[in-house]
Amino acid sequence: MTNAGQGAGPLFGLGAARLTGLSLLALLGICAVIGPDLVGQDPAKQALLNARQPSSAAHLLGTDHLGRDMAARLLSGAQLSLSLAALSVLTAGIPGTLAGIAAAWFGGWTDRLIGSLADAILALPGLLLVLMLAAISPGSWWALYAGISLTLWVEYFRYTRQRARIVLSSPAVEASRLLGLSPGHIIRRHILPEIGPGLLTVAAFGAATAVTAVAALGFVSVGVRPPTAEWGVMMTELLPYWREAPFLILQPVICLVITVLALHLSVGGLHRR
Amino acid sequence: MTVIEVEDLSVFAGATRLLGPVSFRIARGGVLVVMGETGAGKSLIAQAILGTLPGALSFRGRIAINGQRVDTLPAADRARLWGRDLASLPQEPWRALDPLMAAARQVSETHRHVGGLPVAEAAAATARDFARLGLDPGERRLPGALSGGMAQRVAFAAATAGGAPILLADEPTKGLDHDRQARVIGLLAEVARAGGTLMAITHDAQVAEALGGTLVVLRNGRVVEQGATAQVLQAPQDPYTKALLAADPSAWPVLPAAEPGDLMLRAQGLAVSRGGPRLFAGIDLAIHAGARLAITGPSGVGKSTLLDALLGLIPPDEGRVERAGLLGRHAIQKLYQDPPAAFPPFGRLETSFRDVARRHAAAWETVLGYLEDLTLSPTLLQRRPDAVSGGELQRLSLARALIVGPRVLLADEPTSRLDPITQKTTLDLLHKVSLETGIAVVLVTHSAAIAERWADEVLHLTPGHEKAEKAIG
Repeated sequence: MTNAGQGAGPLFGLGAARLTGLSLLALLGICAVIGPDLVGQDPAKQALLNARQPSSAAHLLGTDHLGRDMAARLLSGAQLSLSLAALSVLTAGIPGTLAGIAAAWFGGWTDRLIGSLADAILALPGLLLVLMLAAISPGSWWALYAGISLTLWVEYFRYTRQRARIVLSSPAVEASRLLGLSPGHIIRRHILPEIGPGLLTVAAFGAATAVTAVAALGFVSVGVRPPTAEWGVMMTELLPYWREAPFLILQPVICLVITVLALHLSVGGLHRR
Repeated sequence: MTVIEVEDLSVFAGATRLLGPVSFRIARGGVLVVMGETGAGKSLIAQAILGTLPGALSFRGRIAINGQRVDTLPAADRARLWGRDLASLPQEPWRALDPLMAAARQVSETHRHVGGLPVAEAAAATARDFARLGLDPGERRLPGALSGGMAQRVAFAAATAGGAPILLADEPTKGLDHDRQARVIGLLAEVARAGGTLMAITHDAQVAEALGGTLVVLRNGRVVEQGATAQVLQAPQDPYTKALLAADPSAWPVLPAAEPGDLMLRAQGLAVSRGGPRLFAGIDLAIHAGARLAITGPSGVGKSTLLDALLGLIPPDEGRVERAGLLGRHAIQKLYQDPPAAFPPFGRLETSFRDVARRHAAAWETVLGYLEDLTLSPTLLQRRPDAVSGGELQRLSLARALIVGPRVLLADEPTSRLDPITQKTTLDLLHKVSLETGIAVVLVTHSAAIAERWADEVLHLTPGHEKAEKAIG
């Protein structure tokens, strides 16, 4: 396995870019899990007399326009975004990958049926589908999540189908079949090792898309609703105060940028041989 | 007059010597043949003379062309020799043709830009070349529409159109069937006869013999023997040269015919088309236990397709394949042309072997026994397929097939990517396995010499199988 671009890094044979990305991701994950306890503030607790304060000992990252602790709100938002991204990777990735393998394996009608469905979803702009579902049940976390999974599985499907078709037509798979090895064996030994690294890339980019989508929908007040602390919602709330307190709106923006960057970097240059 | 002079040429990758020291001279009208197995460093000599060695390699020594030292010249000056003084015919030359340009234009382009002829004269020169090579002088088709042999002659015309008196040919007969091979050798021999100078690289003793001249035998980058081709081939001095020549199929002993056993597989009136036109029709075959059948024929005639039809992987258009009742589902196994392609590329070989042994309830000791029979070390199983040599890997795939307990083994050019010595070892083992276990072996090969000496029975597929069918239909 080689790391393109950055060359072999000093640690664990990872490139510098991947190492940075993975460290950032780990840091974000740890912050999201144990951060709220460390800050010890209620992200929803208002203190109007204490609004738009700069950084202080009591409020590490200051307070927003309603006097709520920014650090607590950002971490609460991180929890929401990251858990949703992780969940959508599973619920989009597993069915998408299985559908891709099925389409490549059976071909014919199965392939055409799943392929048409995927094309139909691709024909819609991704956010539109999420918007539609979110509109059916406004503010519902589940609608948001279902909409994101529904758009993201297509990427896994297309990638897996294309690679699996190549693998399945290889002499190695023909040999395994002649030797009497089962379909499960062929998936485990031939297909999964081949598509694994690529799937990781699709997953990381998908997770980044999910994080961005949640924030974008929150920003246009379709997704998560106030007073829930969510990065997109926070951007909307803090936008009117950007002149007086630019450090406030910058915080959720920076969080979003770092998360997406970390996800992209974590799979940078990841390919086999 | 000496045209190419090479003195103490060595090629290094870092501190490792890949080739050399090699010294030789070729006079005008002379022929030099470099012979040796895959990886012996044969192509490095041609690259050093052309000045196209990969950047990671360094070389030492002296190379002179027409009395002028060239190895010290800057790259641009060396490139100026290409086409005018030095021409190179790459391996599988038809791949060097532009697939989107008419055949005649590719040649007249060289006449114009390298030979410096005006458009009309370049076209006339191309027509003359084509007529001389037995091609249609007005050939306007794209390379894809030409047959392999025609495309090869076009590539030859393009390579020599610049009028370069020196031709370097790297494995000019690689992957060609017997008829085309003879034609290419004829073309190359013509170069020297017309006053040019030829350096040819090959692993085939028959090609060396037909070209004559001087022979350099390389092993692991070192010259083991050098001398007049006829003399070296007649009376080789070095043990390696002897082994290499003995491994040439034309020198093999004819194997005794096997006692045919029970009927295992029968094909009757088999006709198959693969997407396009009918490949063959009316094939009748009876494969008995312990028998060795060879299928030969020019490339593209449908040899591999016939194997797939026998395996039941593709349905025949007409006719049928009958398996003997005692044949289990997995009793027909196959060996592949490219050994690494037959194994899952990721993970150790042992995984693949354990999976097969578990599926067929074979004891691991039995598996190790097969490895021992095929002179394979069990430690090879700890490696990945790409870390094992081609010859070992082909024997490993034979061992893996044996775990299943096959009755029929279909081998699709199993040795065409192996060097002659490994080829002989592999086919000898296949013969031994067939003798000891009564497994019937069907060998697809493009070499008539192998087919005649190795098999009891030879089926020669010709494109005529298609014509006969067309006449009926």
